[in-house]
Amino acid sequence: MNRTRTPKHFDKIVAFYRAHRRMPSHAEVAGIAGLRSKGSTYKLVNRLVDLGLVQRDEKGKLLPGSRFMNLPQLGTVEAGWPSPAEEELLDTMSLEEFLIERPDNTFILKVQGDSMIGAGIMPGDMVLVERGVREKDGDIIIAEVDREWTMKYYRRKNGKVWLEAANSKYKPIYPRQELRIAAVVRAVIRKY
Amino acid sequence: MSRGRHDNLTISSFPRAVIHIDADAFFAACEQARDPSLRGRPVITGKERNIVASMSYEAKARGVVRAMRLSEVRKLCPDAVFLPSDYETYSLLSKRFFAIVRRFTPDVEEYGIDECFADITGMRRPLKMSFPRIAAAVKEELDRSFGLTFSCGLAPNKTIAKIASKWKKPSGLTVIRGRDIQDFIRGMPVEMVWGIGPQTAAYLDKLDVRTALEFAQKDEDWVKARFSKPFYETWQELNGRMVYELETKEKDTYASIQKVKTFTPPSSDPEFVFAQLSKNVENATMKARRYRLAAGRAILFLKTQDFHGTGAEIRFSRATPFPHEIIAAMGPAFKRLFNPKELYRSTGVVLFKLTEDHIVQPDLFGVTARYERLVKVYEAVDGVRVKYGKHTLFLGSSFYAHKFGQHLGERGDAPKRRKELFKGETERQRLGIPTLM
Repeated sequence: MNRTRTPKHFDKIVAFYRAHRRMPSHAEVAGIAGLRSKGSTYKLVNRLVDLGLVQRDEKGKLLPGSRFMNLPQLGTVEAGWPSPAEEELLDTMSLEEFLIERPDNTFILKVQGDSMIGAGIMPGDMVLVERGVREKDGDIIIAEVDREWTMKYYRRKNGKVWLEAANSKYKPIYPRQELRIAAVVRAVIRKY
Repeated sequence: MSRGRHDNLTISSFPRAVIHIDADAFFAACEQARDPSLRGRPVITGKERNIVASMSYEAKARGVVRAMRLSEVRKLCPDAVFLPSDYETYSLLSKRFFAIVRRFTPDVEEYGIDECFADITGMRRPLKMSFPRIAAAVKEELDRSFGLTFSCGLAPNKTIAKIASKWKKPSGLTVIRGRDIQDFIRGMPVEMVWGIGPQTAAYLDKLDVRTALEFAQKDEDWVKARFSKPFYETWQELNGRMVYELETKEKDTYASIQKVKTFTPPSSDPEFVFAQLSKNVENATMKARRYRLAAGRAILFLKTQDFHGTGAEIRFSRATPFPHEIIAAMGPAFKRLFNPKELYRSTGVVLFKLTEDHIVQPDLFGVTARYERLVKVYEAVDGVRVKYGKHTLFLGSSFYAHKFGQHLGERGDAPKRRKELFKGETERQRLGIPTLM
């Protein structure tokens, strides 16, 4: 396998392209690469062109190569070998997969009230909750109290169960009858 | 009755094992499961149409039935809660329902939005559970995940599984083994059996057959001589054999496409009623194009306030997936059908003789180029719809139907989920996750 390392300054050129949404001029390439001579700059660009990392248009200005579109942090492989990027990405997950572990049991709820402010959950926030799972001491849960959903810490010690707010304004709730716990909070989402 | 007659019956418990699962009062239960203030109260969905679409068990106990007018419900049940249907949420939950059942077996037939069949034959070993235990596990998992209840029936085939799931409702789990079928169908009126309608029941009555068991115990030859194949098949299933396999394939083609819409208040304005029809045609052809189908024929129909209907059939010189062609062809028929002295409450269209769009033959005088231009126009139209919403582009003939909501006063009747949006959600697109509220 004839494997060549990506020239040192290529990543910086990509970063420039991302930041400015255009390719740098030769003078800017010189600045990026810390080269003083026009000749060395030209040599560097030629090398990038030969590797197919950048292209030149008719006027000699730089155009982005295909590698500008993905997230290239890997070496380049010359002809005949597939880009390893695909396989590497198998070990990543989407934000949805990250937030939602059990899609068939997950519901969303809009937070009302300030009882969980101490846990960083604000009124209007979206919480992702799982139905049909067992709650543990310390979980933030959704329980049914007086025909309404309420979000609190679930506490259980020595066989005693109570609900606790994350706000000193509210007293703990010691349920007299059976406590109906509907769901366990798994994530909070706030969009700005 | 001689003992010999019983030979029809299967003796084995489960030569095959099928579960029928039915969500209890599904729409109303979805509402109760997400809003605890509704629990224990009579809840009715269908407010936007002024007709009961679904009622909770509390409402059922007070005598509320499906399709009842809301004004009647109010008399029976003054404390009823009326809610507009939130089909988006019901569909999301329905998809989850099937996904959960598929954790137990890949053979699932989605029979309706709120019911399915699951074939668990052969699953005892992989799941390390008996059939009744699997059925119980499916039910447990469903009840827990949704916060609403399901009724399940386990039996040797679909017909008996249907009987089993209905046996105890709500939240029942009924197991009918092959050898026990007779105990369950003994007193059951024959028209309660899946697939036996009032016509067949009336005919059976003339033959002195009134219960499902009486039918099941007739000789095979007696049944074959008098009934068509579907009823012979039902007879076999009542005797414990499995004839109806599950249809587990997702629908990828249609024999016909139908769009019907009711509007309130009823109208005698021809432009408004025609616009309603035109909107139905647009919706039907949109679906046809999605499945790459073109219609060879269409039926249009109008329904008056007192539920009388009139209709007409139209044939096209070549199959078409384009609404303006169908609407243009409907104009004369509509004029003939429409009576300005009547009040109309709904219009509908059925497209049939569907063929695959890409093998549509241009007619003798039709210019292929023109047809291809239309294909491009509608590709663009469909593209705009996908991007900006179903009704951003519509034909002028549908204008009056879009000018007002389908039901006057509809604005106030939007489901709560559509009104309480999260930041980043729009009127048109919301997160595809059901809410608690």
